[in-house]
Amino acid sequence: MPINGNADPAKLTQYAPTMASLDTEALTLPNVKVLTVIYEIDDAVMADLIPPALHPTIPPTIHVIGMKAEDGPLGAFTIAIVRVGCRAAVRPRGLPTRAVCTEGEAASALKERWGFPITIGEPMLRQRYDRQSIEVNDGNVTVLSAQLVDPVPIGNGDLLYTAGMHLANIERDGETKPWLVQVDPEFEVSRADRGQAQIDAFDSDFWDAPDLRPVYPIVASYTTANITLPKIRYICDPMQPAISGTVAL
Amino acid sequence: MKFGIFYEISVPRPWENDIEHTVYHRCLEQVRLADELGFHSVWAVEHHFLEEYSHCSAPELFLTACAMQTKQIRVGHGIVVCVPQFNHPIRAAERAAVLDILSDGRLEFGTGRSATWTELGGMDANPDETKETWDEYTRTIPQMWTNERFGYEGRAFKMPTRAVLPKPYQKPHPPMWVAVSSPGTEVDAAERGMGSLGLTFGGFAEQEEKVNRYRRIIRDCEPAGAFVNERVATVNFLYCHPDNETGIKTGSRLTGSFGYLAAQLLPVREVHPTRSYPNPGLLAASRQQAEQTPGQGASAPEGVCIGNPDRLIEEIKKWEACGVDQINFLLNALETIPQEQVLDSLRLFGEEVMPHFADDKPATTSGARELAAAPAAGD
Repeated sequence: MPINGNADPAKLTQYAPTMASLDTEALTLPNVKVLTVIYEIDDAVMADLIPPALHPTIPPTIHVIGMKAEDGPLGAFTIAIVRVGCRAAVRPRGLPTRAVCTEGEAASALKERWGFPITIGEPMLRQRYDRQSIEVNDGNVTVLSAQLVDPVPIGNGDLLYTAGMHLANIERDGETKPWLVQVDPEFEVSRADRGQAQIDAFDSDFWDAPDLRPVYPIVASYTTANITLPKIRYICDPMQPAISGTVAL
Repeated sequence: MKFGIFYEISVPRPWENDIEHTVYHRCLEQVRLADELGFHSVWAVEHHFLEEYSHCSAPELFLTACAMQTKQIRVGHGIVVCVPQFNHPIRAAERAAVLDILSDGRLEFGTGRSATWTELGGMDANPDETKETWDEYTRTIPQMWTNERFGYEGRAFKMPTRAVLPKPYQKPHPPMWVAVSSPGTEVDAAERGMGSLGLTFGGFAEQEEKVNRYRRIIRDCEPAGAFVNERVATVNFLYCHPDNETGIKTGSRLTGSFGYLAAQLLPVREVHPTRSYPNPGLLAASRQQAEQTPGQGASAPEGVCIGNPDRLIEEIKKWEACGVDQINFLLNALETIPQEQVLDSLRLFGEEVMPHFADDKPATTSGARELAAAPAAGD
């Protein structure tokens, strides 16, 4: 059977939030700019990055995501997310290892209501005619620099966004422990570009993904989309195969 | 209705103790039995890098071994990947011709383009271009087979005039097929006068719609080869057991394992947005298959050939009513079913199911003009 993750969930929770309630209502964020840079990663650590509930994709991948909202119900914000591509049983998923978000209402809401592993920072999503980029600095060190180079328009329907499995501390039946929270946003894309993927800086320790090395570019996309963050419907025990460990709420 | 067997050659971890050798030789044993039982064809995929799901990267070698160990069964490339980074078209034509010669004219030539980033990325092929290169291969390979010399300057490749040798044993050339895993690809097959080699596990209504569309369009086709190969094949699972519940339960393990493995791969569409791959094709269908909750209860998904002979006869008659000419069966995945049980299942199918289906249609071909004049099938 496929390779399972072997990471101890307790060791993946450095940035995992605590979700006081899973009774989250859906929320639509209008006209969000979304940059996604996808790379294949070194397979040596692929199983160390995800808990036993999940399988690494074949080949293993990361998605570096930058989002910028100018307005909307959570106000203006920019966020950078690093996600490891994976499968929950047969479903395509991504496990975020860490996210950096500008300070404000969005950071709190994304963390507390949808389990994004957020720390506060100043990610910068830049749009140029020849490229779009996301950059994150930690003090004077650039811990992430990823780009889409040479954008060309593609069809709005050509893109596929996969759901996230967000590791969060949740109290259930009197016990607080890490659970994977399924977050499957809907994307209503109004404009889409595709281009070459390029990662110029990636500090794996900063992103809580020790020894993860992006090694082979796949593709990058840049879209404008209305994103509806969903009501939480499923959580999954990170220690059990997703096929048996998933709980419907 | 004709019956074939279909190989992905799935090899479970751990890959030690000669497991690949064991699996390959079990497959050959199954092929020998299928030949004795009167199966029409054995098909082998071409896949690369698809861990556990398919270790069948050199199907021409496997099929050559099949041909050498059998007498009647036809050998089907299901499919040759028609992308230059995988197979140069000249080599594809040459290898196929040799296989046709060695098998005494038993080759069926399937064409396709791969649907996973796992493979296309691994071969450094551009997913945007695979439709175009496939199209070019389907037009040029038959010319390499039928013209004494051939020269060409195109998009995927160019070559000064040379004699591409040897020529196939079948004249003018082996029947050609198109792998149909994405909706609409049956139209590509029909427009080129090629067989529709279905590789997904859709239900009856979906299949009937595809067949009707195929039959309608092929009447006005422009054949890529020297003749029209109007046939519709679909793929299915096979586990036949005297006890229906046991058959369904064991067969469900097979369908579930196959779908689970397929879902771990990376379809092009998931990571590389392109109009060339508008949907995940086979992988999405397999995922649905895996979600049928294998092994529970005595029901089986519509059309899936697992159960006792009576159930299989009933399901196959429905496929026949949809206009399907041939069903190719997957017999195992991850060695989920022990070899003796696979062989018993094949025997039981051969003895109790196959006799219910007349095999009186011509084996391969019909001319485009005859087709154009014939009444429309499925209208």
